[in-house]
Amino acid sequence: MSLYAKVTDDSLKEFAREMDSPYLPFLGMVERSMRLSEKERFFAVVPSSEALLAYRPGQFFMVGLPGYGEAPISITSAPGDTRIELCVRAVGNLTNALHKLRKGDRMWLRGPFGRGFATNEMEGRDIVFVAGGIGIVPMRSLVKAVLAERERFGRLTLIYGARTPEEMLFTEEMDNWRRRGLDVQLTVDKAEARWKGNTGVVTTLIPKVSIKEKETLGVIIGPPVMYRFVILSLKALGLGAEDIYMSLERRMKCGVGKCGHCQINSVYVCQCGPVFKLSELGGLPEAI
Amino acid sequence: MKKTHKFKYLPDRAYRSLIKGLLREHKVYGTVEKDGFPAFAEIFEVDDLKLSETPTHLSAKEFLFPQREVLLKFNMRTSTHVPVIEAEKQVLIGLHPCDIKGMGLMDRVFSHGVSDPNYLARREQTIVVGTDCVPDEYCFCSSLGTDKVEDGFDIFLHRISRGFLVRTSTDRGAELLSRLADSREPTVRELKELEERGAQRERAFKAKINGAPEDLPAIYAKSDESPVWEKIGAICYGCGACNNVCPTCYCFDVKDEVRPNLVEGERVRTWDGCTLEDFAKVAGEHNFRKSRAERLRHRFNRKFRYLAGTFDSLFCVGCGRCSRTCLVKINIVDVTNELIRESHRR
Repeated sequence: MSLYAKVTDDSLKEFAREMDSPYLPFLGMVERSMRLSEKERFFAVVPSSEALLAYRPGQFFMVGLPGYGEAPISITSAPGDTRIELCVRAVGNLTNALHKLRKGDRMWLRGPFGRGFATNEMEGRDIVFVAGGIGIVPMRSLVKAVLAERERFGRLTLIYGARTPEEMLFTEEMDNWRRRGLDVQLTVDKAEARWKGNTGVVTTLIPKVSIKEKETLGVIIGPPVMYRFVILSLKALGLGAEDIYMSLERRMKCGVGKCGHCQINSVYVCQCGPVFKLSELGGLPEAI
Repeated sequence: MKKTHKFKYLPDRAYRSLIKGLLREHKVYGTVEKDGFPAFAEIFEVDDLKLSETPTHLSAKEFLFPQREVLLKFNMRTSTHVPVIEAEKQVLIGLHPCDIKGMGLMDRVFSHGVSDPNYLARREQTIVVGTDCVPDEYCFCSSLGTDKVEDGFDIFLHRISRGFLVRTSTDRGAELLSRLADSREPTVRELKELEERGAQRERAFKAKINGAPEDLPAIYAKSDESPVWEKIGAICYGCGACNNVCPTCYCFDVKDEVRPNLVEGERVRTWDGCTLEDFAKVAGEHNFRKSRAERLRHRFNRKFRYLAGTFDSLFCVGCGRCSRTCLVKINIVDVTNELIRESHRR
């Protein structure tokens, strides 16, 4: 290993010439702002640059408002859509300010960032999508992308868990998903008597999925506590570390591999993730 | 030191005229004496500058990567931003080899992948004048091979009994030296004195890593489960001082600051520290490195292992600042040596 390689004056000059700041966001115009639940709001945004539409499912934008800062927000639309669709949970100053945006308002975006799902790698396989809470937001992007080319995939199952039926997002779209060949199974932690679906955490539904070993992939997106348990359940079904994809949440401030907040051991999630295969996390004990 | 032809001799009065010339032309920051300790500060006349052989508490990183820096100016009423890149020509005087090596690593970080125009513009505008040092009990650069520099500075001043031996590593440095000061070729005796001073310095190192620097990434890779982390985690205050003083800690926070008129404001980046409790906390209060032991392990690994893959380099330059400043005396050399000992036992 050669320690302390040299940066020449010339190479610095070359970099300094690109004065285009990676911290300057692109403008987006809110076309649709819609309440989804008590905490979540849906936005369809017209981007000022076509470049912002070149994203993959699983990628994210740093979404911001002047005076309120920025936060990483998952993309919920799918490639090919002409609007960027985002779903924001109100948890802090920025996200509460975003909730006040209505049609015609300005929203600022940097990205898309990170490595998303490579749907071509998933071709020909059965897929079990496991979403918890607002994990359904980026999962919707992947589900839509897969359903857009339905014939290229095998059997598709979505297991989606939320705390209560009221907190479930995109349920009105799920009939359409079902018609297009996605088996949707819902579960909630607690519900009143009129709830007809399953009650219990997502892992209660996983053992009931009948899968073809070696042909099935699992995709997990949810709150940090969920991963360990879902991985165990998927492994119990016979899935290997190569067959399990997941999207990992981390704090992020820059999106360009500098600020350090998203780092898992040696990996910057904003660059190498947020999508990882379980097999890629072997050397990253802090990942899950 | 072998390339003796590179040295020029600079008598004291020529040194003074060099500094005066720099002061005439640029904003100059150098080492001054502050409460009995050397520290970097703006200097206004030659006698403000006190070239120091002992290390400063803070590194010189703040002059390239300020503790608070404006990235954008915004207007909330119009919902607009403009990028801000503040870079004024500046001269930094009194950097030791570890500071210069640290700066070289920062150069690589901020030019790697998506390059950072704010840092790079400032770096481009910065003239670096290095000077010799004498190790204290915390310095261990000689263990990492960062005790000598061949580049990364414009001018380097080596103190000898009368005057300086000086070398330059850039055209800019050579131009400044020839224009601002009268130097001459050094005598054999002057070169010999420099050599003797160098040998004396080498003998003065007390702190030492008991292993080769190129082995450290692998040793750290095997030490995730070491009891060392719990041991030092139990005494760590999580104050972040080690991050602040480190010449290669570059993690930052970004936040918006709104002016009292509640319309205009600035998006600023400020230093952040991976040893601080909130560093890896996300919405919903989940903290990915909850314990101090985990956070310290992360910081030490960043210095010796995590970034080695990307940059093919350690990210510790052996300045000893983290150990020198630590309130509970967590010592980076002791920790590393303990891990080396454990790796031998395995």
